[in-house]
Amino acid sequence: MYRFLRLSVLLVGLIAAVGSVAVHAAQPLTTADDLGPVVDQPIEFPHDRHAGDAAKGGMQINCMYCHTYARRSNVAGIPPLQKCIGCHRSIESVRETPRIKKLFEYWEAKKPVPWKKVHDLPDFVRFNHERHIQRFVFAQEKPVQEACGYCHGDVKTMTVARRQKPLSMGWCVSCHQKDHPVSATSTKTTHGPNDCWQCHK
Amino acid sequence: MIENSFNRRDFLKVLGWGGATVALSGCGNTSVEDGREYVTSYVETADYIIPSIGTYFNSTCAQCDAGCGIMGRVREGRVLKLEGNPDSPINSGKMCGLGQAGVQAHYNPDRVREPLLRNGDKGEAITWEKALQLVSEKVASANPGSVAFLTGGVSGHVKVLLKNYLDAIGSDQHYVYEAVAPSVVRAANKKAYGVEMPRLRLDRAKVVVSFGADFLGTWVSPVHFSRQYAKFRKGVNGERGVLVQVESKMTITGANADRWLAIRPGTEGILALGLVNALSAAGLTVPAEVAAAVKDYTLDRVSNDTGVSVEHIGKLTALLKDRSPSLVIAGGAAEGYAHGSQNAAAVALLNQVLGNVGKTVEAPASMPFPQMAPITGNRSSLQALNDSIAQDGVKVLFNCGANPIYSAPASMNMKESLKKVPFKVAFAHYMDETAMEADLVLPLNSSMEGWGTVVPEYFAEGAQLNIQQPLMEKLHPGTLGMGDVLLALLKQRRPAEYSGYEDYYAYLKNAMVAIKGALGGENEDDDVFWDSVLSQGVVKLTSSSNALVSSASAAGLQLPPPAVEDGTYPLRLIPAVTPNMRDGRHANEPWLQESPDPLTTIVWDSWVEMHPKTAAKLGVVEGDIVEVASKNGAIKGQVYVYSGIHPDVISVPLGYGHEAMGRYSKGVGANAFKILDPVFDQQTGELAMYETRVKVTKAGKRVIVVKDEGPAGGNQSGRRIALRMASGKVNLAEEV
Amino acid sequence: MSITNLLQNWSDFRQQHPSDERPHQEYKWAMSIDLDLCTGCNACSVACYAENNLPAVGKEKFSHGHSHHWLRIERYWHNEDREYADQGAQFLPMMCQQCEAAPCETVCPVGATNHTADGLNSQVYNRCVGSRYCNANCPYKARYFNWYDYPTTADVWPAPMEQQLNPDVTVRGKGVMEKCTFCVQRLTVAKSNARTEGRSVHDGEVQTACQQACPTGAISFGNLIDPESRVAKQWEKQQVKLNHDKQAKDAVHDGDKLRGYRILENLRTYPSVMYLEQLREGAI
Repeated sequence: MYRFLRLSVLLVGLIAAVGSVAVHAAQPLTTADDLGPVVDQPIEFPHDRHAGDAAKGGMQINCMYCHTYARRSNVAGIPPLQKCIGCHRSIESVRETPRIKKLFEYWEAKKPVPWKKVHDLPDFVRFNHERHIQRFVFAQEKPVQEACGYCHGDVKTMTVARRQKPLSMGWCVSCHQKDHPVSATSTKTTHGPNDCWQCHK
Repeated sequence: MIENSFNRRDFLKVLGWGGATVALSGCGNTSVEDGREYVTSYVETADYIIPSIGTYFNSTCAQCDAGCGIMGRVREGRVLKLEGNPDSPINSGKMCGLGQAGVQAHYNPDRVREPLLRNGDKGEAITWEKALQLVSEKVASANPGSVAFLTGGVSGHVKVLLKNYLDAIGSDQHYVYEAVAPSVVRAANKKAYGVEMPRLRLDRAKVVVSFGADFLGTWVSPVHFSRQYAKFRKGVNGERGVLVQVESKMTITGANADRWLAIRPGTEGILALGLVNALSAAGLTVPAEVAAAVKDYTLDRVSNDTGVSVEHIGKLTALLKDRSPSLVIAGGAAEGYAHGSQNAAAVALLNQVLGNVGKTVEAPASMPFPQMAPITGNRSSLQALNDSIAQDGVKVLFNCGANPIYSAPASMNMKESLKKVPFKVAFAHYMDETAMEADLVLPLNSSMEGWGTVVPEYFAEGAQLNIQQPLMEKLHPGTLGMGDVLLALLKQRRPAEYSGYEDYYAYLKNAMVAIKGALGGENEDDDVFWDSVLSQGVVKLTSSSNALVSSASAAGLQLPPPAVEDGTYPLRLIPAVTPNMRDGRHANEPWLQESPDPLTTIVWDSWVEMHPKTAAKLGVVEGDIVEVASKNGAIKGQVYVYSGIHPDVISVPLGYGHEAMGRYSKGVGANAFKILDPVFDQQTGELAMYETRVKVTKAGKRVIVVKDEGPAGGNQSGRRIALRMASGKVNLAEEV
Repeated sequence: MSITNLLQNWSDFRQQHPSDERPHQEYKWAMSIDLDLCTGCNACSVACYAENNLPAVGKEKFSHGHSHHWLRIERYWHNEDREYADQGAQFLPMMCQQCEAAPCETVCPVGATNHTADGLNSQVYNRCVGSRYCNANCPYKARYFNWYDYPTTADVWPAPMEQQLNPDVTVRGKGVMEKCTFCVQRLTVAKSNARTEGRSVHDGEVQTACQQACPTGAISFGNLIDPESRVAKQWEKQQVKLNHDKQAKDAVHDGDKLRGYRILENLRTYPSVMYLEQLREGAI
C-alpha cells in the first residue's frame, strides 16, 4: 500500500512536471531544467502533502511557514524539529505512520534530524534568499510558490525535494541580466546586480 | 542546533580546491555537492537565532586585567569574532589586538583537554571525579595551614569563593603573582595621593609628560587610555594636547610623543625634581619646604645627570607652566629601579606642584563590594611563597593564572623551590612551564566557555562589575571553570552552605540576585534582573570616591646620583613589555606572534635592541646573533639597531622563549625574565626590573631579521607616503 | 561567462580613470585615516585577521614575504641624522586603496579584479589564475598571493582553530591573489538590510573590522556619495576630490591648513583612502 502511494505521488509529480514545461517555456525567468541527484533523506518528507494543492490532497501550506528564515536571512533554513512537532502533536490521524513515528523518536531523543542538503551552492558564493523573497514576493507580489519555484522548481509536487535547476553561475546571470519590474505597480524595471562581489565572497 | 562538524570539514575541503576550480566555475561547472553535505536543523530554537546571521553576546575580555567589555559574534553555535562592547565605559566599543586574539586562546589546539595526573614523566588522563577526590584527600591529609593558592590577579565571585575555601580549610596562604604589574607606582601613589591608582584624565590635560608609562600599549588599561588620548589630541577648543615621553627605551607611547626624551636609565626622579626646581624658578608657586628640598637640582646638574639637554628641560618647563592643567605619569621605566619608589614619588610631587591633583588626577571610584575588588601582587608575594615553602609550610599548592617557573627571575629558583611541595595542582589552559611541574593538572574552560564576574583594576568612570558568560558550548567536554572547581571543593567542606548550588552558574546567579538592590535592580523580578545583567554585560555600581591628598611634600625624598658604570657588565638591560606579548601568557596565539612589534616590526622571535652607537662600539650590525649575559645567566638573540633607545641600555622583549606551552610559543625567541638580577625596590621589595647589568658579546652567526618594515624598508625614499606637519598650522576644532 | 563573452565585454572590466559616464549610483565607499591619532598598536591588523580568515603563516614563510596582512602598519622615522628618533615614529596603516583607476585592474589577463558599482576594487578568487601581474603593478604593495594551500598543506588552522573562520568570507586556496576588500561581506549585509527597509545605508551603520577595533578612532569609513556621512564631510573639509590627482593642499605652500592627502596620487590611481597628516608640536 505504502509503495503504491509513493509510486502514485511520483507519477503525479512527473505529470505535473511535464505539464509545467509548456507553461514555463513562455516565462523568461526559467531556463532548462537540470535534475539533481535523488537524495536519500532520514525521513522521506512529503512536500506535496504539505504544500500541494488542496485538489490533490495537499495542505497548501505557505513555503515560508516552515522555511521561515527565507525572508530575513541568507538561508531559507530547515525548520527546527519543534516546528514539526508543534503541528503533528495535534494531528492524531497520522500519528502512528512510520515517518511520524520516526519524527517523534528524534524529538524524544532531542536529536536533530540529519537532513541532507539538496540545493548546495559552493561555499564561495553568497546567495541571499532574503533579497529574492523581498523583491519577488513582497515588492512584486508574486505568489510565494512561484517565486520560490524560479530556483527550486515545483516543490509542491515533490515528496523529497530534488534539485530542478542547474544553480550554476551562468544560470544565475541569465536571470540577472534581464529586466524585472521593481514592484507590482511600477513600470520601472531594473536588472539584478552583476558585479562579481555581489555573489562571490 | 545546526551542527557544523560536517559542514565545516566540507567547507574547508571545497574552498581548499577553490584555486583549482578557478577556470571551471566561470564556465558552468560548480563544486555543488547536492546530497552530500548535511544541513542539520535545530531541535528547538530561540526567535533571535537566525541561521547565517550573527548574534552578539556581551562578556568581558580576559586577555589582560583591564576588563574591557566585549561582544562575541556567535553564528551557528560558534564564536567567530570579538568586538568591543560600546556600553562599557572602559573601552567604549574598542579593542586592542591582544583582545582580538582572545578567540585564538579559546580555539587553541594546544589547550589541555582533560585532567592529567602525573605518572613519572607523563600525564595520565583521569576523570574529574577522581581528580577532585584526590584533591580532597590531599587537602584533608595536609595540615590545614599548609594548603596554599598561587594565583594571578583575581576578582569577582571567584575571589570570594577562593577566600571562602581557604577559610573553610583554615589556611591563609593566598599568594598573588603578576610578572608585570605597576606595583611600585601603586605603592608610591598610595603615599602621595592616598590611593593606589588615581583616575587619570588625559582627555582634560593640555600637556602629558609620561615617565616611561606606556599607556597606549601595555600600561594598566591601554584601550581606555587610547580613547582618552584621542580626545587629548583633538584638544579642548582645537588646541592639540602635547605629549612628552621620558624613557630610556622607546615604547609605543614614546613613538607617538611630540618629543621623546632619551634619559639615562634610573634618573627619571632627578628630572622630575629638576622640573620642580625650574618651575619654581620660573615663578610657579611651590611650597617652601618643597622648594628647599629641590633647590640643588639645578638645570646644569639635572642635564648632566639625566643626559637630557638644558634646552629641552627649559622648553619642557615653559610648556608645563604655560599650559595647565597638565598630567605627569610615572610608569614602568620610572619604577623599575632600586629607588623606583623614589622616582615615582618625585613624579607625583611634580603633579602636585603643578596643581594637577583634582584636575587631571582624580579620585577613583571605590568598589562597594571590597570582597570582590581585584587583588594584585608581584614578586614580593611570590617570595613570600618561596619562603613558606623553604620553611616546609606548603604541602599542597594550587596554582592558577600564574606561571612563575617561566616568569620569575632565575635567582628565585622557582623550579627547585616548587619541587619541595609534595602535591602541586595546576589549573591550566596550556601545559605551560609551571603546569609541566605539577602533580595534577586540571584543565580550565576558556573565558568564552565559562561564567564569571570580573572587577577591572582600573575604573574608567564609576565602579563597575563585568559579566563573563559563555559565548558557545564547551569545545572540550573535559574542561571546567575555576568557579565550578572551587564550588565542588567547597561542597566537600561546607555542604550545608553550598550543596544547594548545582553549579557555579547557579551560585553566581543567586549571588547576583541577592545583591540586586545595590546593582540597580531592586524593583525588578529576579529573572528580569538577571537577564538584563547578562544582556548588558556590565553592571554600573553606585559608589563613592576616595578623597585625594593634594598637598605637596618632599619629605623622605632621597634620590641617588646616577649609577656608576660597571666595568664587567657595562650595559643596562631593559626587559621590554610589548603590546603583543606582555608577560608571555598569550605567546601561543599565532596572530600575536605574526603581528609585528610596532617599533622594530619583528615577528616570531625576540631581539636585542640597541642604539647605533652601542652597536658600533660592539662591532655588530642588524642580524648578528649576540649573547646577552648578566650575573644570573645568558640568552642569545638577533641584534636590531635603531635610534629609539639610549646608548647605555639594550632591550630584549619579554614574553618569548617558552620551554613549554604549545606549538606557536615553544622555542620562539629567548626568555629575558631568566637573566634579571635580583635587585629590589628599597621600599616595596618588588623586583627592580630595569636594574640588570649585562654585557653583550658577538656569538658568531648572522641571520636575516624577519620583520615587516614595508616594501621600502621603512624608508620613504623621498616619496610622499607618511607626511608630518607642525601642529601650529592646524586648528583641529575646524576639522570634522 | 565564456571567453567570447569576456572578450566582448572587455571594456566592462577595464576602467582607466574615474569617468563621468559611469558615476557611482548609490554608494562610493571611502575611508579616511587620521595619522595623528594612529598609535601603531596593530589592533586593526589583528581585527582584520579575525574577520577575513587571514592565515598566520609562521616565521619561515613570513621571511619569504608570504605574509598575509591585508592591513599592515608601516612604520617610518623622520629623524634624519639626529642622534635619537626624538620626535617619535610615524605609523601608517596600509591596505588596498580601492583605487578608482586601479593599476591592478588593467593588467589582469583574466579580468579577475575589476571595479564594482560601489567603487570597490573587487578580487574574484574563482577567476584568478595567479599570474600576479596585479601584484607587480600595485604601487601600494597591498596584494597578497597564496603560495600555499593554507587550510590543508600548511596546517594554518589545526583543529579546532578552523572553527573560528568567518563563514561569510572565502578561505582562499593555493594560487590566488587576495587583498583588503573594505570588509565587503559587511557592506553587502548592510546594503541588503537597507534595501529591505527601502532606504540607503546610514552613516555609521556599517563599520569595517579595522575601524571598529581602532582604539583611538583614527579610521572612519562610509559612503562618499552621502553628503552627511563623516567621510564625505572630512573629504570636503580637507578639499580632497576623488577624481583629481592634485589637491588644493598641493597648491598652497605656506600657512597650509589642510592635512588631507592621498598616497602616490601623482600616479593617477585615484585612491579611495584619504590620510590626514601627522602633527608634531614645535614648542618642545
